[in-house]
Amino acid sequence: MIAALILLYVVTLVYLSITERFRNFASIISLQGWLLFAVALLRLHAIHPAELIFISVETLLFKAILVPAILFAVIRRTKINRVRTSGSSQFGSLLLSLTALAVSVSLTYCIADSAVDQVFFAVALYALLSGLTLIVLRSRLFSHMVGFLVIENGVFLFSTAIGVEMPLLINIAILLDILMSVLMLGIFFTRIDHKIHADDADSLTNVKD
Amino acid sequence: MIVYLTLSILIAASAFLLRSERQLFAAGAAFYAVQAAFAVRILCGLYGTTSAGVFAFDAAGTLFYLLLTVVSAFAYFHSEAYLKGSDIRQTRTYSALLMLLTTAVAGAYFSNNLAVTWILLEATTLCSAGIVYHRRTAQALEAAWKYLFVCSTGIAVAYLGILLLCAATKCDSLSYEAVAAAIPAANPLYLKTAFLLILCGYSCKVELFPLYTVGVDANFAAPSPGSALISTGLVNAGFLAVFRVYKLLAASEVFPWVRNVLLLTGVLSLVIGALFLRRTNNYKRFLSYSTVENMGIAAIGLGIGGIGVWAAIFHVACHTLVKSSLFLQMAVVRQVYDGYRINRLGDYIRINRVGAVGLLTGMVVLVAFPPSPLFFSELLILKQVVAESNWWVMAAMILLVCIVIYSFCSRMIRLCYQPNQDQLHPSKADRALSWSALVPLGAAIALGLWRPEILTELISQIATL
Repeated sequence: MIAALILLYVVTLVYLSITERFRNFASIISLQGWLLFAVALLRLHAIHPAELIFISVETLLFKAILVPAILFAVIRRTKINRVRTSGSSQFGSLLLSLTALAVSVSLTYCIADSAVDQVFFAVALYALLSGLTLIVLRSRLFSHMVGFLVIENGVFLFSTAIGVEMPLLINIAILLDILMSVLMLGIFFTRIDHKIHADDADSLTNVKD
Repeated sequence: MIVYLTLSILIAASAFLLRSERQLFAAGAAFYAVQAAFAVRILCGLYGTTSAGVFAFDAAGTLFYLLLTVVSAFAYFHSEAYLKGSDIRQTRTYSALLMLLTTAVAGAYFSNNLAVTWILLEATTLCSAGIVYHRRTAQALEAAWKYLFVCSTGIAVAYLGILLLCAATKCDSLSYEAVAAAIPAANPLYLKTAFLLILCGYSCKVELFPLYTVGVDANFAAPSPGSALISTGLVNAGFLAVFRVYKLLAASEVFPWVRNVLLLTGVLSLVIGALFLRRTNNYKRFLSYSTVENMGIAAIGLGIGGIGVWAAIFHVACHTLVKSSLFLQMAVVRQVYDGYRINRLGDYIRINRVGAVGLLTGMVVLVAFPPSPLFFSELLILKQVVAESNWWVMAAMILLVCIVIYSFCSRMIRLCYQPNQDQLHPSKADRALSWSALVPLGAAIALGLWRPEILTELISQIATL
């Protein structure tokens, strides 16, 4: 069951590389939230029930509901619906994403050690590379935000792999998520559009040498 | 430690509610009284003990905490004078965040647990972003956004590294002792990957390659006294976090590889620092690139090993005093010219002789002319480089340091002696601030001339791998 969920999670990452509509970005982040909720429930059933409830509720509330809701609100407010047309092509992005997947799997295969759950590690690495690719290739701030959330979700997924022994680590990862995601989305939502137009990252080039 | 954290946070939080500059001054006095009392308590009893299971009063934490207390106090009281007459709501937020930043950095210094270090470094991101956004301008917002975004991404990457380290060592606890004990049995490839992720992630705090840019932008947008704290105390917190992981890995077979990575990172940071010192047209960015350059030298010291490790720690400690002094002097420069543009400003020696002498002396110390303490540390690092026959590092260091010396001399001499190009009439300088900013610089020069036995011993304890 967990393998199927993780496979679906990988598919969301691949889809993220080719989609250009921000509504799809927000929907994928929401779907990833639900997948992480299910993975956390299945993976961490052995931990103390109170901790399991805390982790599950936090994951569901913030990753699957609140953060995507803020993303949809940002889309409605800024009326920006898709990535810039002058950005990289869908084919190029897909190729890069698949290369990142191949690199992640190869690296994990090379290490091949029982200390770390290899599937979780490979997918976390792929999420990290996907998020970085999204930040580097797409020029709009919204894409950068989504890239950051993708990295966060990858880190959270990996924390569930070792969370049976150390639930504290998952709690820390969740707290990071809540704090930084909400804060950054808050700034994006309330400040950026007032002083700087949120249309694209080109408007954020005043602070340079 | 818990009492210290509670008291510090309470005083800092109370500053959010204050209504006058006098009250802010009183809050600052109370806050630094707590810091001083805590420093005395560490030196007279707490040193060598642990607290709450996640904090330890070791040599590294103590040394950097003492430096932090001094630098933060200077930054706070200079800020009070620097921001006099500004909107009280902005000033009180800034003052409270400066105190919270100091508390978070102090916690990171004493943290004895990988996760707690990480949490406190994350907390510094929030405080620093608020300080950077103090002026509420579009530029300040851009710098704050970039700082928050890149630091959060970096910190998330570092967290992935910590998780990997935890998984690879199969530790029940993330305390440095527990992880150190389990490191020799861990898979080397996991350790290498974990170190790379941690170094890349924390590089936004240490102002090292690759994420050094956010630190430069933050220092540029923050008020100068705030930059003095960000560029020294906060950078030291990142340095210590990386250094503690470096010490963990000293017991593993991947240590030679770790040293090579640090050498490469150090040289690349030195390259960036040296090149951008030539390119930038803003004095605050100029000083920030100097931080990148100096942290690069410290990374080379760690990478080369041997006496280089001792020299790196001494270098970072002395850099804290010198750089904070220069940023505080730069605050007076802004008071005078209302800007930092290198190609416009000049004639500073006539307007503020004390400040100009402070800047020129700071320049001499920062480019490591004897009796600068940085001369001593750089000489030790070079000596170790020669001993290791690492000729490419030596050639790169000498070439890049020459570029740095040329850049510093030409830029600082221009500020002091070239005719002023600014159309605006320069304002009157606050000489008291210039005199006050000389104190940390004087302390640094004193360390160049005479190194107390206790300091040498303390650094030797820290450098023992």
